[in-house]
Amino acid sequence: MNNEELQIFLDSHGTDPSVWPESQRAAVEKFIASSAEARALFEGARRFDALLTRTASRAGADEAAAARVLARLSDLPAQKRPFWHWPLVLLDWQFAPAWPRMAALACCAAVGFGVGIAGLDRTLERYESLQTVTTQTDIASIFEPEALTGARP
Amino acid sequence: MDDSDEALMARVARGDQPAFRALARRHLPAMVGLARRVLGNTADAEDVAQEAMLRVWTHAPRWQPVAAFKTWLTRIVVNLCLDRKRRAAWVDLEEAGDLVDRTPDAVERMETNERERQLQSAIEKLPDRQRAAIVLTYSEGMSNAQVADILDTSVSAVETLLIRGKQNLRRALGGLIDEEG
Repeated sequence: MNNEELQIFLDSHGTDPSVWPESQRAAVEKFIASSAEARALFEGARRFDALLTRTASRAGADEAAAARVLARLSDLPAQKRPFWHWPLVLLDWQFAPAWPRMAALACCAAVGFGVGIAGLDRTLERYESLQTVTTQTDIASIFEPEALTGARP
Repeated sequence: MDDSDEALMARVARGDQPAFRALARRHLPAMVGLARRVLGNTADAEDVAQEAMLRVWTHAPRWQPVAAFKTWLTRIVVNLCLDRKRRAAWVDLEEAGDLVDRTPDAVERMETNERERQLQSAIEKLPDRQRAAIVLTYSEGMSNAQVADILDTSVSAVETLLIRGKQNLRRALGGLIDEEG
């Protein structure tokens, strides 16, 4: 490290060693301790920082100005709602007290759907008669004679 | 009742005006002060603070508490200040000094010592982002990482702003800094 690098370091990180980057602190402190010129540089930077802090902080909070602004905020415009606001409102159901009943209802619906899909609600005789009727109709239509010629296929 | 900034913002998001006023009362003094330090003008600072609080109100339903409320609000104020400075017509630096002197704290400023007055004047003449970095660091006591977050830039960019800002101030003040005891 040289004096120019020290000045850049102090300008970018300030003169409070407690906020210096951990990885550079020991090297910077060692350099400052090793040279009178570096110590003078550090002292100058410390004085400048103190002056900056004092000057920059002088125009502090202003209660009177804040009160004036607050008075101007009496008439507030409409808030901007995100586009997913209404879907969220509609979906904001509170099932907490009724969740066992909701779960039972969902189970019943699932079982009913399964039974309907599997055809378990039909009796065996009805299933067989339907098959027979269908078969007889199909055969009759296949062997029906032509309307004009009377020829059979 | 939880009256943290985040809890109040949750109420503001539901359109709760008293919660908004509580939040405004809590943060407006500091935000007006910050805007005045960046802009160097009390009237503009009040306009910026008002605009910032209106944005808090209108955007509250979309606000996500990923960062502290004060950090978010500070970012709004600083960005509005920088926008305003960008939009403003170029003003001669000597005139800019006169404008500052018309603020309510002009008398107080006249009573401070010459060194601080000259430094204040030099800070006001810095390029906008350098001035914002200096003000946030030395007036708000923020770390370089916090300043980077507010200015929406990298830590190394903030370090560069501070280095150049201080170099400009040293050039402007000459030997006055060395007289500081």
